[in-house]
Amino acid sequence: MSSSSANAAPPIPVVLVGCGAVSQLFYLPTLRALRARGELAVHTLVDPSTAARGVLASAFPEARGCDALVNCDAPAGSLVIIATPPRFHAAQTLEAFSRGWHVLCEKPMASDTAECERMIAAARDAQRLLAVGLYKRFFPSSVYLKTIFDQGQLGALKRFTIAEGGPFRWPAATPSFFNKAQTPGGVLLDIGVHVLDLLLWWLGEPARFTYRDDAMGGLETNSVVDLHYANGAQGRVHLSRDWATANEYHFHFERGSVRWKTNDANGLTVELAGTPSALRGQLITPPSSSPAGDVLQPTNPQSFILQLSNVLGAIRGTDTVRVPGEEGLRSLRLIESCYRQRQWLEQPWFTEAEAQRARQLAAQP
Amino acid sequence: MKIAIIGANGFIGTRLVEHFHLGGLNEVAPIVRRPVSLALPARFAIDWRIGDALDANSLAQALAGCDAIVHAAIGDPRQIEAMPAILAEAAARAGIKRVVYLSTASVHGQSPEPGTNESSPLHTGHALEYNDAKIRAERSFHTACQRHGLAGFALRPGVVFGPRSRWITDLATDLRSGRAWLLDEGRGICNSIYVDNLVAAVEAALTADAKHAGAYLVGDEETVTWREFYGGVATALGIDPATIPPLKNIPDFTPGTAARLQSLAATPAVQSVLPLVPGIAKRTVKNLLVAAQRPPAVDAWTLPAAPGPRVTQELVLLQQCRVKLPHTKAAQALNYRAPVTFATGLARSLAWLAFAEGRA
Repeated sequence: MSSSSANAAPPIPVVLVGCGAVSQLFYLPTLRALRARGELAVHTLVDPSTAARGVLASAFPEARGCDALVNCDAPAGSLVIIATPPRFHAAQTLEAFSRGWHVLCEKPMASDTAECERMIAAARDAQRLLAVGLYKRFFPSSVYLKTIFDQGQLGALKRFTIAEGGPFRWPAATPSFFNKAQTPGGVLLDIGVHVLDLLLWWLGEPARFTYRDDAMGGLETNSVVDLHYANGAQGRVHLSRDWATANEYHFHFERGSVRWKTNDANGLTVELAGTPSALRGQLITPPSSSPAGDVLQPTNPQSFILQLSNVLGAIRGTDTVRVPGEEGLRSLRLIESCYRQRQWLEQPWFTEAEAQRARQLAAQP
Repeated sequence: MKIAIIGANGFIGTRLVEHFHLGGLNEVAPIVRRPVSLALPARFAIDWRIGDALDANSLAQALAGCDAIVHAAIGDPRQIEAMPAILAEAAARAGIKRVVYLSTASVHGQSPEPGTNESSPLHTGHALEYNDAKIRAERSFHTACQRHGLAGFALRPGVVFGPRSRWITDLATDLRSGRAWLLDEGRGICNSIYVDNLVAAVEAALTADAKHAGAYLVGDEETVTWREFYGGVATALGIDPATIPPLKNIPDFTPGTAARLQSLAATPAVQSVLPLVPGIAKRTVKNLLVAAQRPPAVDAWTLPAAPGPRVTQELVLLQQCRVKLPHTKAAQALNYRAPVTFATGLARSLAWLAFAEGRA
């Protein structure tokens, strides 16, 4: 955790906008943990649904309830967490900056990159912080991988495969996830935001790529991205809301390979070339810096808490935002490029006539 | 014609939606119980709806504007039995006159007697609760259709395989992990039906004269043995079919005390009084049941053993089948012909598996 927890600075008022599944499952325990440390105070819960607000209100009885952000009266310098459907992100972020509030916006950052750019410009003009909720960058496993990519302990990266996803189980209260008018993308825009954000952070921009998905007039449930990098590395990303994938990232380097199970925040499997076994284990603080004994690196939920703690620390001036708006924009830009270049993902069980019709439907805007 | 597909997110429902929507001759309205089940139907710009197959009001609303229904929803035995009456009531309220209900050849048991056909008497003394539930459901379906003046067609497919079918995915898993097996060298008949052939049967039932309403066995044209089925999948996965071991011992499937208690606990009568039982008593019983089912701990001095065969009572019964169930009645009354050969169906199923595993 940041050092801000221990200081005497007053808790930062937090406004939570959107009281749906992500807020109930992730932000509720996070806010509770950081409130207990004195880092924040929950000022207002915003949602047009009284019932949705009720779940959060029972955990934070001190917070005010509000049906829309525009009606909120939090003081300047507060942090607004935006956890609404993506189509509301830009307008709510602009409203927040106009009131002097900082913003942590859930992924995807907005409906499109034009909105992202407006959000970034508004943050600059208002001199407020804009952070994006891409918490997998806070996983010790992904930090470890970043180090290996940057410093080359296993040599250069040669190739990789990433398979992530499974049957859609997010407890969505409404069908908006599957309504193209309300949500502009399917699995690529959903879990793909995290995967592509990590890849961009780890490896930089690909030199070229191809993208295929199975949407036929609606929203894709399977996506395949083939990426090629300037250093010769190449890899495939397979995302699915349809069928259980291996949920694994597998990187092959010159001198070994690393496997990482999706969402395993502090565990990796490392295979050093030429050794008879692979090493699978949890990440701990190096013994050299923790003489009192092994200290496990943060878990997945703890990484989510760290993300918010990072933003609060940045507001206090004791930390810098790890995933600012400019970084959130990158994965969305790549996703838009994917959609622009999309090809139909062949579904080999279709009859010829079905495949022909499917291609026609897929080609329609 | 606008066709409602109830249970549109299942593997049969998914293929029905694909077929009707891409075929272009009919409109299709996929119906699922919850928004979370919309991922596959929503690949299309399509008129999907939310409706609960266990709630006549909800279902009738979802069926509005449709001309016919295909019911492909699944559930536990109690839900299976409850669904047909709800289906018929909702259809009548929505003004729909034709319903195709997906029953199963298992109403005749997994290993039926020679000469079995649609007129063979059914009994509810099967070893598998599923069979009995489907028999009661089918009876309820025909009674309810009669009551509401509906043309009701109940299709009885055998082993339905295809993209997303457990007969493909479970078998692939078992073959790869060394847990697949064959009984009597796989001579048993598997009464297969590739999912597109079932779709063809549904289409035939949707267009047949209403006077032919009734129950129909449907299947592939070929008589396929379990050895051929397993062999085809194994070969595609690069596994020599000759290495699939025989099943040496058939386990005793008599339910143990824990299973009987769990079954009892699931009954509506017990469920209705459970809220009155103190929490500590419920937790104690639950912990005892879990402990009873836990495999014995392996100590450090035990070498890891090869995985044993995955044996289910259903599969043991199915592999003992010596009868190819006829679809003569469907051929005559519905003009049903299986359009896809077994070999093509298997090839398409395995192509899907490669797609799902990211190998395509």
